Amino acid sequence: MMRSNDRRLEILAYGSFIIAVLVIPLLADVFWLNRIAKYLVFGMLGVAVALSWGYAGVLNLGQGLFFGMGAYMMAMSLKLQSPASVQPDGALLPDFMVWNAAPGASQHLCCISPGSWLWIPFQSQGFGIAMALMLPMLCSFLLGSSIFRLRISGVFVSIITLALVLLARLLLIDAQPLTNGFNGLTDLGWLTIGGYEFDPYAVATYYLVAVAVIVVLLATRFLVATRAGLILQATRDDANRARYLGFNVAAYQVFFFSVSGLIAGMAGMLYVIASEFASPTFLDLSFSISMVIWAAVGGRNSLLGACIGAILINVIEATASESPMLSEAWKAIIGLIFILVVLYLPRGLTGLARDIAARLGERPATSPKEQTQ
Amino acid sequence: MTEAALTIDGLGVSFAGFKAVDTFSMVVPQGDVRVLLGANGAGKTTLMDLICGKTRASEGKVFLFDQDITNLQEYRIARAGLARKFQIPSVFRELTVRENLTIACTAMHGVMGNMRLTSTAQEQDRFDQVVETVGVGASLDRIAGALSHGETQWLELGLLMGQGARVILLDEPTAGMTHAETMKTAALIRRMQGTHTLLVVEHDMAFVREIATRITVMHLGRFLAEGTVAQIEQNQQVRDAYLGNGGIR
Amino acid sequence: MADILFIGLSLGSILLLIALGLSIIYGTMGVINMAHGELAMIGAYTAVLAGKYLGIGLIGSIPLGFLVAAVLGLVIERLVIRRLYRRIMDTLLATWGIAILLQQAIRLQFGLSFFGINIDGLGPGLQSVSVPAFLRDPVRLGDFVLQPYRSFIIVMTLILTGVTWLLLYRSAWGIQIRAIMRNPEMAAACGIDVRRVGALIFAFGSGLAGVAGVLLAGLKTVSPDMGASLVVDGFLVVVVGGVGSLVGTLISAGLLGQISGIFASVFNDIAARAVVLAVVIAVIMWRPSGLFNFKGR
Repeated sequence: MMRSNDRRLEILAYGSFIIAVLVIPLLADVFWLNRIAKYLVFGMLGVAVALSWGYAGVLNLGQGLFFGMGAYMMAMSLKLQSPASVQPDGALLPDFMVWNAAPGASQHLCCISPGSWLWIPFQSQGFGIAMALMLPMLCSFLLGSSIFRLRISGVFVSIITLALVLLARLLLIDAQPLTNGFNGLTDLGWLTIGGYEFDPYAVATYYLVAVAVIVVLLATRFLVATRAGLILQATRDDANRARYLGFNVAAYQVFFFSVSGLIAGMAGMLYVIASEFASPTFLDLSFSISMVIWAAVGGRNSLLGACIGAILINVIEATASESPMLSEAWKAIIGLIFILVVLYLPRGLTGLARDIAARLGERPATSPKEQTQ
Repeated sequence: MTEAALTIDGLGVSFAGFKAVDTFSMVVPQGDVRVLLGANGAGKTTLMDLICGKTRASEGKVFLFDQDITNLQEYRIARAGLARKFQIPSVFRELTVRENLTIACTAMHGVMGNMRLTSTAQEQDRFDQVVETVGVGASLDRIAGALSHGETQWLELGLLMGQGARVILLDEPTAGMTHAETMKTAALIRRMQGTHTLLVVEHDMAFVREIATRITVMHLGRFLAEGTVAQIEQNQQVRDAYLGNGGIR
Repeated sequence: MADILFIGLSLGSILLLIALGLSIIYGTMGVINMAHGELAMIGAYTAVLAGKYLGIGLIGSIPLGFLVAAVLGLVIERLVIRRLYRRIMDTLLATWGIAILLQQAIRLQFGLSFFGINIDGLGPGLQSVSVPAFLRDPVRLGDFVLQPYRSFIIVMTLILTGVTWLLLYRSAWGIQIRAIMRNPEMAAACGIDVRRVGALIFAFGSGLAGVAGVLLAGLKTVSPDMGASLVVDGFLVVVVGGVGSLVGTLISAGLLGQISGIFASVFNDIAARAVVLAVVIAVIMWRPSGLFNFKGR
């Protein structure tokens, strides 16, 4: 009885969210539409964090690494689409490479600077998209394989991922001739599919992002509802018990960690399409921790909750940052909110919503945990 | 003569020079409820750790029926048909009783094989059977973390049954239980006896008399004696080991 | 070669200074204090303000920085940490919130900037503290150039490490602290007031961070966001050294300091940092419990 009630509530929540996302273009101007598209991307990051933190019990403090990979792979490809990359002689070369090139260097992508040949396949946008999805998934798979097989868990996973994202950020900045260092990749072209150009401020681009977020949300929701998702939660609760029941715990952790990495990478790719830049700030520690904050505020055990948490915080932040004073104050408020959520709302807004719904329905909240959302 | 379900052959391990289990051998025939006795520090729990793959043995072999399971990964030993219950009850505390048992009754262990929403008929049968045996039908939708100590222990026994193990190791299944709970556990174990072979570590002699078909006694990591409850209670060597200073070395 | 080792030693001592407090807090209370760097930042600002308004120099600011950070630590412990003991991930997140709050407190001058009031020495800008004259000029010893302020930091670090060691291993408090490190439940059962000792440790660890901040103020510019990178470095040292091991923290700080000193001189700073991060990742993969860990299992 309790469960079917929960189930109705959940379907209602997912349904309203999806409808809201789909009707927003009727209400918002192009400027806000573009912004909201970016926040939906952050919502996708919230889903990735909830999956690995809430369901797998793995607090990845380096999710920005996978986001950044997706972003850079897409941005490299879009950079070469940009008119700014077409040289007077018709050759395709990112502008920053020309500016940074040693005098007399070859004016061709193959050898203008050491390693610049890596850019050659990115002339194909399909390659960029494929890499934006494959690379984060592959890297999270390799990373997950090495840490979970060694049975590293808890805070040590967080430290490794944290160190890794910092390391990657350094290398990214250091590879200035290839990545434009601190400045990141700007002045990008538009994503073009079948001759249609996705202007970041067009409604079509919004729907591209929105549909992707909805699909990811529902697919992930399906994934955690499967038997495999249930077993994943079992490994989170008691890895040894799961092992002695015959489950290869590492395999489950690696699989879902890779899915989480894939989602983060896809988010990075979409972010670049909507925002027209990629920057090393994507790999800042504070960005990765922000994602965790979004998920915690929304509800770490709820995919939809984490998604909404991310969108909500960013919308408020954007509103607050209209004035510089307010934006600084907002940062302080975010710090405070975070402390309060950890102390008083460990299940986030989702937990709060559930408790309220339970009280309205005059049913006591029976579970110490979030039911599957 | 029934088939040997669990064969331990010269098993040993040492920690920093101390031989916790020392060339220990025994055979448990199928269908037995074998109780492992021994004073504290005799190596009973370590022996179980060696059998189930938690600790790697430095010498000797373990066979589950005909299969050599020595030093395999824990999940491989579990898949071969061996289950282990720890002293501290371990269940999936944030999941419901139903979810706990569903997981245990899952027949396929791989990730891809479990990309499904429903149970197979065979899994459902086993689930129903376990629910009936353990008698948790009324609390299926409760969160496991909210169960009482006794209920948690029984749920864990249910998990072991659900996983379809042929041999089950139980480490002090009645620790911290009231008398009534202990007796319920004994009844549960007797119900399991027909389909499972059990190896039980236990101190409570009243409980041991209830369940044991035979007893094996360990002392300082070695095999000391084996026999029926009556034989062991009469055995002078066992009395010396338990009551004396046990100074064999 | 000697100067490279000296640079490594001074880098290591700064790492140790930060890691010392983190290490005992983590070891005793199972709390990852992400606001530790901000406590150091508060210490640095204490030195800035003490210089501007009280005429107290850098050396005089050391006890002051300890005090301010320790009191702040006590407040944080009372209001937040106390409710989160042994919930390690939650402490990490909550203290991250505290870190943001402290940074913004300095940037916004405790909110006064909303009212147009500006305090010289606070705010988002950069500040600096001057080093006493006698620690300013390099001393030449043959080919070797001794930086007196860096030497001063090394000496101060040694003193603080010594004090921490005395507190842990030669005091009545220390026995209680070590008991809690090994088994908090048992310690509580033996009549040790775990919360009180925890509060003391948190305050002491915060005080150490405050001193680190004061000393750093003489070395680098002071800014509200200076703490963020400190806590990461400090934490890496703690993890590599092993939880709750003072010797481990000491050796790991020395090791990481030397690695970054050597690689910085052979290649560049970025390479040095990259190598340090790579070493840290490798160590955690190889021995998740750290190089020196008495907990064993």
